Amino acid sequence: MKKAAVAAVAVLAAVLAALLAYDGIINKEATADFFAMNTYASAKITGADSEECAALAEEITQSLDTDILSRTAENSEVFLLNKNGGGALGKKMRGYVSVLLDVCEKSGGAFDFTLGAVSDLWNFGGNPSIPDSAALSDALSHSGYKKLALAENTLTYADKAAVIDFGAAGKGIALDEIREAFAEKSIKEAVVSVGGSVLLMGEKQFTVGIRNPSGNAGSYIAKLHIPAGCVSTSGSYEQQFEENGEKYHHILDPETGCPAKSGLLSVTIISESGIMSDALSTACFVLGHEKGAALAKEYGCTAIFITENNEVFVENGSKDIIEITDGAYTLI
Amino acid sequence: MKIIRKGDIALIAVILIAAACFMLWSNSKSEAPQAVITVDGEVVETVDLQSVGEKIIIEPVLGVTVAAENGEIWFEKADCEDKLCIASGRLSKHGDTAVCLPAKTAITVTGSDVDAVVY
Repeated sequence: MKKAAVAAVAVLAAVLAALLAYDGIINKEATADFFAMNTYASAKITGADSEECAALAEEITQSLDTDILSRTAENSEVFLLNKNGGGALGKKMRGYVSVLLDVCEKSGGAFDFTLGAVSDLWNFGGNPSIPDSAALSDALSHSGYKKLALAENTLTYADKAAVIDFGAAGKGIALDEIREAFAEKSIKEAVVSVGGSVLLMGEKQFTVGIRNPSGNAGSYIAKLHIPAGCVSTSGSYEQQFEENGEKYHHILDPETGCPAKSGLLSVTIISESGIMSDALSTACFVLGHEKGAALAKEYGCTAIFITENNEVFVENGSKDIIEITDGAYTLI
Repeated sequence: MKIIRKGDIALIAVILIAAACFMLWSNSKSEAPQAVITVDGEVVETVDLQSVGEKIIIEPVLGVTVAAENGEIWFEKADCEDKLCIASGRLSKHGDTAVCLPAKTAITVTGSDVDAVVY
């Protein structure tokens, strides 16, 4: 072989080695599994900063819980608000409260984040049971978003016994905070799940399974083909218990203080915002298919309703995004 | 006089094709179903489900028993109150997940054809 040819091969080999190394850097994958907000979370990230971001996802979720949103961690912002019956809000909290009050208002109270006292009686996270009806009415009488008043940066509780609870929005808020932090990092793609609410970041078309309402965790009945955004589902299968032959699930109707009966198995919301996808999925579950669809439309979000008859409806979006993978369910 | 001969071009072509194939493979490799058991985020055991025949028992953490048999894996016993992990049933397919929150233990079958499952 001539010298020039040897040189050409050497240069090519060097270029290829550099390309492979570059490919290795920009496609570096990192994963994280952790427990936070009384739930399971996982993250899969691709990109130069993937390892840093995997650690960051956990750090953000943990500190959001213990410093701000937890109702039980002493000295968290929510703990102190509930203890003092209101107070000055931090900038972040001001934003969360104002979004949630808007969802409360627009859903006509179907979404309500002041049901802490009622949730405590059901004790879904621990050892759940049907509450005593007198205790339930008493707790309900101290609940309701209309007892809150937000003026400037101060939240006032008209009833000091009201208990705000971010259970129906905290996971979505975590996704928003994670996305904000990741935006400054060098990553190509990220999929983060906090208790089943999912954040998708990247240019590609993602595939997200909608949990099978009557199957194992992790099994799904349909695939969604969607771009980057946030997806949340509220379903009657989560944190369910059976007493006297009847099943009770954890999504409470603020009007009755009991599990919502709206003819649905689950509602999935796709939104740019995590707090919105999380809160709206609960609101739409309580409202039922028809009213829920109207609310999702008002917020410009796509909603997927699965009814107790195993019918699947896509509202305020194209049916092309969904592919049913389980013959027991029908796309209407 | 030729500087580069046909044989050299062939060699260069082979190197280029091999590198391109490697890049494609490294970007798209799919995994055989493996069950990964984690406790508080740390991987404590990885089970190749395809090679599991006779029943095996794994105790990833005190109070939790995981069993695997014939390509399936599941929470068999747990000291927790709600037993939701046991109710999750047997896992075998890509993406199947079961979690015991009180014991901070998760079983995930890798290599899903979806990016995530929303629940």
